[in-house]
Amino acid sequence: MPKKIAKKLIWLILEMFLLSILVFYLARQAPGDPLQSFYGDAMESMTEVEREAARERLGLNDGFFVQYVRWFIHALQGDFGLSYQYKMPVLAVMKSRIGNTLLLGGIAYILIFVLATMLAIVCAFYEGRLPDRLICRIGTIFYYIPGFWLGVVLVLVFSINLRWLPSSGAYDVGMQKNLGNRIWHLILPLTVMIASHLWYYACMIRNKLLDEMQKDYALFARAKGCSRIEILWKHCLRNVMPAIVNLMAISISHITGGTVVAEAVFNYPGVGNLAVESAKYHDYNLLMVNVLLTGLMVFVGGFVAQIVNEKIDPRIKETGVIKW
Amino acid sequence: MRGMVENGKLVKRKPVLAMSVLLVIVAGCLGAPMIANHDPAGFYLEALNQPPNREFYFGTDSLGRDLFSVMFYGGRISLGIGILAAVIMAILGVIYGCVSGTANDKVDSVMMRIMEFCGSIPSILMMLILTAVVPAANMMSMSVMIGITGWFSLARMVRSEIRQIRHSEYVLYARATGGGFFYVMVYHLVPNCLPAVMFAMLSNVSMAITMESTLSFLGLGLPPDQLSWGSMLSLANRALIRNTWWVIVIPGLFLVVTLLCITDIGNYIQKEVGQRKG
Repeated sequence: MPKKIAKKLIWLILEMFLLSILVFYLARQAPGDPLQSFYGDAMESMTEVEREAARERLGLNDGFFVQYVRWFIHALQGDFGLSYQYKMPVLAVMKSRIGNTLLLGGIAYILIFVLATMLAIVCAFYEGRLPDRLICRIGTIFYYIPGFWLGVVLVLVFSINLRWLPSSGAYDVGMQKNLGNRIWHLILPLTVMIASHLWYYACMIRNKLLDEMQKDYALFARAKGCSRIEILWKHCLRNVMPAIVNLMAISISHITGGTVVAEAVFNYPGVGNLAVESAKYHDYNLLMVNVLLTGLMVFVGGFVAQIVNEKIDPRIKETGVIKW
Repeated sequence: MRGMVENGKLVKRKPVLAMSVLLVIVAGCLGAPMIANHDPAGFYLEALNQPPNREFYFGTDSLGRDLFSVMFYGGRISLGIGILAAVIMAILGVIYGCVSGTANDKVDSVMMRIMEFCGSIPSILMMLILTAVVPAANMMSMSVMIGITGWFSLARMVRSEIRQIRHSEYVLYARATGGGFFYVMVYHLVPNCLPAVMFAMLSNVSMAITMESTLSFLGLGLPPDQLSWGSMLSLANRALIRNTWWVIVIPGLFLVVTLLCITDIGNYIQKEVGQRKG
């Protein structure tokens, strides 16, 4: 086991390394003079000689790999450069926002999977009958409604016209520590996140459950007189659990993407909104760290899921990965 | 996108409603010059933020554009991006999937690793980087960008289909008689996974249209002079302040109805394929 974990850790580091090269390369391809973004308007008043000296000092004349290695060494020391837009170290900007995103994303993540499992059980129980068909239909519709549009419509209805819920932000001025106020602001973003992700996972779990219902052990349980709900809950759900854990790992990427949209619509002060802003204002240092952080989260998620799965399902050690 | 299968009893009939609605929308977009009763690029400054009325069927937005006319002209670009991006994804995905599917185990596992790696970053974040680096100037560049960030799931699907048939006799025969890789791919491998690819392409069309409109809404999409459903919705935030619901609801409904029609047809195709196989 420790050997396996070590091997996976090496993979994780390798993946992060590759990702950082990729993102660094893309950021260097960006149009515009990097000096412009570093000095802003002050660059206009510099002479050509001064500019050349500044380029030399910032190392912009070096080759790609020299620049990358320098960036990498600084990054290892926790220095990811300055955010041009905020004139602050990138990490400090991220630190002030990440808590908000973890709150939104975390609650959404948990709710999505709890609700998806419940819905899947309900659907599997009523397989092919009216409740199942109705849920399938509504779920598909919500899945295909673009998240940003749903958000805007919700704001239009609940904030502007009914004036029930706040339309933006994470808390009112001075209420940063007030939990109730925060939850108040989270209702709409959470609704958007859940509505646009829930069905995808519920549907997958439902199909997986129905597959399990066809197996011999389910038939046997049936024959000895278990009710359908008992088979689903006690037998099938357990067998589907590793698949759900696996799905949860894959979903980190989707749900993180969802927070970007939800945060941007509701102007929620999180890292997703920051990613959109930094893309708009060409703040590459900030964007790079944002992507690296997301990548790290996804890779670690996959890593954890595999370990958890091996613990809860000994079959996986033999066969490797679960296939969807 | 896979797994959106509904129960067998649900979608057995041909999706006549979805097909006809989609046909109307597509025909409207193609025949936009005949339908539009105003200049889509015109700014009617004397009629800003008009609710739907007899003159402007869908009302006007805060720039004074006639939404009814913009809708059909914008649909051209939105649908165009959807189709173009889906074609690009299909080409990339099929080629990558075929190479990975027919290669030996080592190459295959490396190729799959690479794809898993690329697919692990949320596509919206990848699009953010890309649009920050190379702003999308027109329909083509937008489609290419959406295409190269979204082909992973299709490639994975093609690969698993190919792996099932790569040792079948007819593929071996074609290879033994000297068929090159591309020959075998085009004449033997691709036709086998075509139905599955068709379904994936349809859902990719929806995905690409959604992605384009999301990016436009975030202010990172096409420049404002390129009309699309997304760029119409990019005015949504301003519309919220003025509480002009029609600017938000009408283009969005068009978008959602189109996406749902495409999905319905896709589900039907998938069902047909499943029946033929089973």
